[in-house]
Amino acid sequence: MNLELIPLLIIALLMISAGGADVETTEFVIEGDHEMTEHRGALIVGDATVTVPPDEAVSGPVYVIGGEFRVQGTVDGDVTQLSGSLVVEDGATIGGELQHIGGSEVLSDGAVITERTTVVFESAEPGPIAAYTPFVLTTLMLALVGALLSRKREPLLDNVGAATQDHPLISLTVGALLSVTFLSVFVFMAFTLILLPVSILGLLIGLLTIAYGIIALGYLAGQRLDTPRVGLATGLGVVAIMVLLQVIGVIPILGDLIAGGLLLTGLGAVVLTYFGLQEFEPVSLPE
Amino acid sequence: MKFFEFVREGQWIPITGYLIYVSALTAGYYYNLTFVQLGLTDLGTRGIGLSPGDVSMAMAILALLTLVAAVASGVLMDRRGWSTDLYVKFRLLFLVVFVQLLLTIAAPHVSTVEQFVLWVIVCSMALGVGIPVTFSFMLDFVPVRDRGYVAAIVAGSSFFVAALYPIEWRIDEFSLVMSATMVPAVLVLAVLSVRRFRFVDRLASQHERDAFGTGRFCRPTPVRTASFAFWGPVLLMFGVFFIDSLGFLRIIETPLYIYTSWQSPDLSVRLFIAVLHVVGAFAAGIIYTNFDRNWLFLWVFGLFAFTHLLYVFHVQFGAGDTPPLVLPMFYVLAVSFYTTLNFALWPDLSTPETIGTHTALGVGIAGWLATFSSTALALYSEGIGLSLLSHLTYVNALALLFVVALPVLLYVHRMVELARGGTTP
Repeated sequence: MNLELIPLLIIALLMISAGGADVETTEFVIEGDHEMTEHRGALIVGDATVTVPPDEAVSGPVYVIGGEFRVQGTVDGDVTQLSGSLVVEDGATIGGELQHIGGSEVLSDGAVITERTTVVFESAEPGPIAAYTPFVLTTLMLALVGALLSRKREPLLDNVGAATQDHPLISLTVGALLSVTFLSVFVFMAFTLILLPVSILGLLIGLLTIAYGIIALGYLAGQRLDTPRVGLATGLGVVAIMVLLQVIGVIPILGDLIAGGLLLTGLGAVVLTYFGLQEFEPVSLPE
Repeated sequence: MKFFEFVREGQWIPITGYLIYVSALTAGYYYNLTFVQLGLTDLGTRGIGLSPGDVSMAMAILALLTLVAAVASGVLMDRRGWSTDLYVKFRLLFLVVFVQLLLTIAAPHVSTVEQFVLWVIVCSMALGVGIPVTFSFMLDFVPVRDRGYVAAIVAGSSFFVAALYPIEWRIDEFSLVMSATMVPAVLVLAVLSVRRFRFVDRLASQHERDAFGTGRFCRPTPVRTASFAFWGPVLLMFGVFFIDSLGFLRIIETPLYIYTSWQSPDLSVRLFIAVLHVVGAFAAGIIYTNFDRNWLFLWVFGLFAFTHLLYVFHVQFGAGDTPPLVLPMFYVLAVSFYTTLNFALWPDLSTPETIGTHTALGVGIAGWLATFSSTALALYSEGIGLSLLSHLTYVNALALLFVVALPVLLYVHRMVELARGGTTP
């Protein structure tokens, strides 16, 4: 599954939960080409092409978060489009509200749509300043936290940094395993709806852990500056790492692999050292 | 890794040992994984026309006889000192591979129940003797430091090939290819059995070196056969193998799941699975080498429980849809993890004096008995018409039971130690 779908999936599940739909009838179509007939309950369209054929009806609500949703027959409930593509053909009927938030849509004049709303976001094509503001703000915040942490609790970053530097392969392996497993577990939890808050909390903790890993990488980079002002060095190091993560994406495939590898190594090192509370030492084996 | 040290220093004889071990174990595991476990099902049901229930009986017989043969030959190897005599082990392996070659050639010609039973009996004898012989090679060829990585290479390679080839589990298709690839191995082993070579002499004495002989968990105190330190892992590994085969066989027999399994007609799916086996094994190798083995057990059971939960969830709610690749992805990770652990664990729980017995008991009980008895049970459940959902629910329950059992077992063990006056953690 496309990882970018996960936040949209969580939003869709939150909306389903708020709408009081039955979890057992919610279906998430993740891939392939499907024709929907007689589906009762909520339907989430992911990286798939889903068609409601003529003379067929699904109850809805339907959430389009990716792929393509093609209506030739009838959707009795609401249709909410967050992303992907929506095609409503001649003779098709949407009995509930069609809410367009994002993605592309093609609505035929011959289709019957009971109610239609569009959420418009301002400045669809942001200028360079607006585009880079979130990145700059995130970087500044991480640099500030890194500077404070290195001044007040330097041993924490020292332990994480040492694990990253001395045991990169182990850190990367642990980081990769944890991210794959926990990401899937959290998505799975979200599907139960009951555990949706736990899932969101888990994802937030995961993001914070990754941020901590970036700060530790920044601390390591800052040490290269050879300055006694550890706070400043860490802050600058964090900026350097963030810029590197941003710039390296220019290199096709390899750039993303390096960026992903760095983030996972940082994550693994944070976990291995119990968030820096303990040095990581592999088990001792005979030489 | 010691391997890179040997390469830097140009020590080619120890490097030859690595190559022999990886080749022998990869070929052996691939053979047993495909030709015996899945080929036997095909031979019994399609070739002879037996019911799944009867084939499950044959599987159970194979499992029990293999265990008996493994333990008998393992104990004999230790008592006679054969475990540390590489030439004797080469001779025994020659006999095993030669018998397996004859069985492979004979398989497509087996047409009656009597011949089938005889084939199963001879097959189990060969397998049984082969277990302590091949698994104890680690003591001669692989230093303790590198065992996790070498085990990962064996597990990853054999699964990689098994996932990519073949598409059909038909014993007659296998037979010809397998026979052709086994003949060179038989010839090499025949030469090594009758002649002495200087490089083999050097390899044969490697177990006396500190880096090779005594297993990781036997330092400073050797693990006794009648101890919790040995039977605890046996029980846990039995659980892992049993649960895996119990779920796996039913899954690959269900048409919907074939498309995202080893038997998928889509090459890209099989390639995905094959590559993931290698990645999973490599990750397991790193964890085995750098952490306490309990962490690996925890990962294995955690992955298994989650995988089965995913399958049960999909069977219940996603019926009719092709399952997403995340399902086989977790299955493959779990399988690669425990297979890597299985290759490295038993030699590391042994000394040169106990390796025959320990590998025979470990692999025999945790590997073969568990795999074949659960395969038999899976065939039986299919035979009596138990639904896939009910079947996987049982598997799920077992997986979750073991997830809970591991920390409880460790905790109780620590309690017993404390009650006896022990203080070290």
